[in-house]
Amino acid sequence: MSDSFDEYRRKIIKQSISASTLALVAASGLITPRVLLAHWPQDAFNAETLEDAILTFLGEAEEVDEEAIQFTIGSPPTYAVNGASVPVEISSSLQNIQRVALLVEKNPFPLAMALEPTPAMRFPFKTMLKVAEDSEIIAMVRADDKLYRTSRYVEIDIGGCA
Amino acid sequence: MAIKTRDRIRAKLQDDHTVVRILLSHPMHTGRGKNDQDELIPAEFIQDIRCWRNDEEVLTVKCGTATSRNPYFAFQLNGGEIGDVIRLRWVDNLGAKGTAETKVV
Repeated sequence: MSDSFDEYRRKIIKQSISASTLALVAASGLITPRVLLAHWPQDAFNAETLEDAILTFLGEAEEVDEEAIQFTIGSPPTYAVNGASVPVEISSSLQNIQRVALLVEKNPFPLAMALEPTPAMRFPFKTMLKVAEDSEIIAMVRADDKLYRTSRYVEIDIGGCA
Repeated sequence: MAIKTRDRIRAKLQDDHTVVRILLSHPMHTGRGKNDQDELIPAEFIQDIRCWRNDEEVLTVKCGTATSRNPYFAFQLNGGEIGDVIRLRWVDNLGAKGTAETKVV
């Protein structure tokens, strides 16, 4: 076998490897997840700490200590027998609400629900959440680039994260 | 997994606002629960819910696994008239979809 043929053969092999690697990378998921999950903020929902979840979904902003957002009395209750469905009701007098996050501090993934309201919608907003164990339930609102926060400690008899 | 019961949605006009109540029919498996054979049930939960009044989008709800089984939501809309169409569409993490529609009464 001549030297030149050997060189040519090596080149072909090299090229084919890099081409197939590129194809593999493309197929293995650098492109697909972005298309599929564009509508769902995966990073925020998969965050394992409260701070990460808040930062990822609501972003950084000045936190204001004001009574502009509240939980309804008894919803969430301070004591719930079944953690699989704990009623939560939030009300707010704020205008221009950009985002609302409902968080359960001790859950494996704290961010439970995220709302993106429009001016046509108004509070109160009611729903049911799963709560794994005794935990702080937090509602956070981002309005006019400020963060408003309220929380309530809820005791749970039977954990509801199965 | 087949979903047998239907999603329910009610909208009612009260004074100057419309009250919307939604009850979806979905198992909402978190991926951590186990079945009778002690095997993990794979995650299956609603991720994205969108709600329209007539053709105007009014609310987007994104759910994590901590939303309870057969999710319930209630909220209000400013204004509204009898006969407005409230429409809703949900998508879960496996790509299953559902819609529900009602008229304001």
